[in-house]
Amino acid sequence: MGNMNRQQIEEWTNEVFEEEFEISAEKLKPDAQIFSDLGLDSLDIVDLIVALQKKFNVTIRGDKRVVEIRSLEDLYNYLEDIGRENSGDI
Amino acid sequence: MKVRPYIIFVTLLFYPVFLSVSLIVSLVLIALGIIRRPFLTKRQAQRMIRLYMLIYGKIVIRLGFPWIRIRYEDMDSEHPHPCIYICNHRSASDPFVMAVLSGEFVQVVNTWPFKLPVYGFFARFAGYLNIRQISIESFLAQGKKLLSQSVAIVGFPEGTRSTTLKMGPFHSAMFRLALASKVPIVPICLQGTEHTPAKGSLWICPTEVKVRKLPAISYDLYKDMSPFKLKNYVRDIIDKQLQEMN
Repeated sequence: MGNMNRQQIEEWTNEVFEEEFEISAEKLKPDAQIFSDLGLDSLDIVDLIVALQKKFNVTIRGDKRVVEIRSLEDLYNYLEDIGRENSGDI
Repeated sequence: MKVRPYIIFVTLLFYPVFLSVSLIVSLVLIALGIIRRPFLTKRQAQRMIRLYMLIYGKIVIRLGFPWIRIRYEDMDSEHPHPCIYICNHRSASDPFVMAVLSGEFVQVVNTWPFKLPVYGFFARFAGYLNIRQISIESFLAQGKKLLSQSVAIVGFPEGTRSTTLKMGPFHSAMFRLALASKVPIVPICLQGTEHTPAKGSLWICPTEVKVRKLPAISYDLYKDMSPFKLKNYVRDIIDKQLQEMN
């Protein structure tokens, strides 16, 4: 995912929410809170991580930064960071 | 908030009666349990304790009469057993109100019910599941074992009592158990318990508590759903029914 731009990351992330959780696209706004607005719980987060890993072909599980993610925007930012790290930009 | 004298009267009357009856009933049931225990297997003893909890609950939910009336509506003609009962959660009295159900069951609860004087004591022996203190793997294993013994499971997947009439989001643990054990899910709507008492309050307000047991959702109907979709599917059913009840 190192070559992905921000827009692609957002699109792919939203696709995961739509395909895995059947959450409608209108709800997927950057400020949407993953727990309270989208209704995921800690167990669903495990499913989300698995789906994101598969979609982006990255390893997220075990990364301590994941626990700080609250909103979709946080998630986009995090995946962008991961992408930069994978491409060797940082 | 200004409390009406009538509510003060009902509250002052209810708690001494509740505590006295709880003490007497628990002493009688404990004595009976001690006498019977040597003649029972572990499984029979658990069944006995769950029956005692049901008896205690049936007594407690009648204590508020005539100020608190319980109306139980069973919309399910099938009565599948074992099954997983899914209820909305509005009050500390909700676990007691579940005594309207019949058959052997355990409840999935937070830590606080285990701290209640009588209820907590029996809940521990009855094998009630403290969702806060066990891992999901352990919860699924224990839940599957109970269901295989024909013990139904009652849960409040909001996890905490709602402070408004709006239901909170559901946690998925109960639905993961349903998918793993392939048993029917029976939604239950509770209305009126928010007055007996509300979260953060001790005031008992005269009210009618409605318990509506909805038709079971069979495994065939939900087997292809993800835990996330299933929990929201059941939540929507309860939510729509509560709106109709309101």
